Amino acid sequence: MSIHQISMVLDLNKCLGCQTCTMACKKLWTDGDGMDYMYWNNVETRPGQGYPRNWDKIGGGFENGRLRPSDIPTKEDYGQTFEYNYSERLFEGGLQAMPHQEVRNTPNWDEDVGSLMLGENYYFYLPRICNHCTNPACLAACPRNAIYKREEDGIVLVDQERCEGYRYCMRACPYKKIYFNELLGKAQKCIFCYPRIEKGEVNACAKQCPGRLRFVGYLDDPNSAVHKLVHVYKVALGLFPEKGTGPNVFYVPPFNPPRKGNYGKSILEDPRMPIDYLVYLFGEQVTDVIRRLEGELQKAQNGGSSEVLQLLIGRDASVRYQIPKREELIHIQGAKKA
Amino acid sequence: MKSVALVALWCAASGVLARAELHTIPVTPASAEGALDPSSPMWKTATPVSLGLQRTPLLYPTDQPAALDITSVQVQLLRASGHVWVRLEWQDKSRNSAELPEAKRAWQGGHLVAQSEATDRFSDACAVMLPATTGASEVFPALQMGDAAHPVQIYFWDATRGTAVMEAKGRETTHRTGKKFPSQSVWKEGKWMVTLELPEFAAGTPLAVALWNGDQQDRDGRKYFSVWYKTQ
Repeated sequence: MSIHQISMVLDLNKCLGCQTCTMACKKLWTDGDGMDYMYWNNVETRPGQGYPRNWDKIGGGFENGRLRPSDIPTKEDYGQTFEYNYSERLFEGGLQAMPHQEVRNTPNWDEDVGSLMLGENYYFYLPRICNHCTNPACLAACPRNAIYKREEDGIVLVDQERCEGYRYCMRACPYKKIYFNELLGKAQKCIFCYPRIEKGEVNACAKQCPGRLRFVGYLDDPNSAVHKLVHVYKVALGLFPEKGTGPNVFYVPPFNPPRKGNYGKSILEDPRMPIDYLVYLFGEQVTDVIRRLEGELQKAQNGGSSEVLQLLIGRDASVRYQIPKREELIHIQGAKKA
Repeated sequence: MKSVALVALWCAASGVLARAELHTIPVTPASAEGALDPSSPMWKTATPVSLGLQRTPLLYPTDQPAALDITSVQVQLLRASGHVWVRLEWQDKSRNSAELPEAKRAWQGGHLVAQSEATDRFSDACAVMLPATTGASEVFPALQMGDAAHPVQIYFWDATRGTAVMEAKGRETTHRTGKKFPSQSVWKEGKWMVTLELPEFAAGTPLAVALWNGDQQDRDGRKYFSVWYKTQ
């Protein structure tokens, strides 16, 4: 258990699916040998298979306090990495730029495919990083004690010296957010940009996000946006809470207007997407969150002001991020235990 | 998480086996020339001893059970000028090893990045365990990586990543020393033949062998093991 817990809230209503976060992370952390297939930050289309393929159905996490069995995702589950024949296309008269090999899977394979409800298409984007869980299954599963959770900020890291590449952590993580670098024989994962966080700088994925959908701060800092969104306004939920790991990345669920544009009706009565699917992702509490957001929306539509919606707009960095430098961190007085 | 009771039971059982089934492996004098080659005719002079193997119990509740696909390992020992060569030979119908490109830089590559080809494959491997203090003794270290009073040295060979010398004084204490040692290996017709060059140890030193079958996702404590055998 950490003393402080840094956290991220992502407002899914604002995600464009542009993958700028993915590229920011890739260029900063995973452009080295053996890391080609790794996207510590990925954005997947939902409903869809996700990255790695069917990660939400493979297994892992806890059940009655015990680790649940799981397979290790294969390289193909993560998606292929491939080059295009650009020189052929540009200099040798080829008709079309094509991948060098047949492509059967990629990290956002079913981009914008979505699903149908009453004959109408729906989908949304789900950006994912490591959840830096309160009760990390990866840490519980590692026989080498190579995985640790930092007391000062709750960031979960893999000690690259101690790791022997056994991959019990890959199996245990219900979010399949630990990757195996075969060249180094080491497990690697999102580090929540801890070198930036220590300097009071926000994560690269959040910094680069054009949609301004990410909020970062300490859950136990009563002045932080993440604290307010999760604990005070209660409009952000963790992914798959039933997996038992206590994720510390939270999502404001997609809050689409009613399907027929009937504002008199509740979104829950006339949704654009099956509420069951949101319940599958975020648990039963998601309907309460939607009701709460609906109430705030009505308040604003009736000429009132909504603190929640104002906060979710996230006008500038000072509204979205509250990241004290390391030396200031000890002064945070947590109103709630992270 | 870990099946402590099962491990304790196995520990007790393996201790009994270590005392009840003590065999001796002859050590044949030889010249150093060519001893590292597992196909060298020199090995015809070394008496082979077949060591029975067991599988460790499932250490974690999420582990899949594994069959006893490899029932024995053949061990031969040659001694010359400060070295002992150990030749291990065992049946393994599938070769699990990979030729990996060298990782030039772990982070921030300025070159064409080499790829990880797979995430879910495991290597065949073997190891020879000796007491850290070699020599004849009636007290053998615990089979599970020794114990605090009786530390062990492990000479580990991995079909993909080569060799490593490790030290341990009990379960979950194993660590790499950073040292390597010479080895050669051949996989042919469903059989591994691996030769390890170890520093010379005194007659009577106990020795135990472990094998990992990549096909069965073996790694860590998920493996085949022999009991302690005395060297001549």
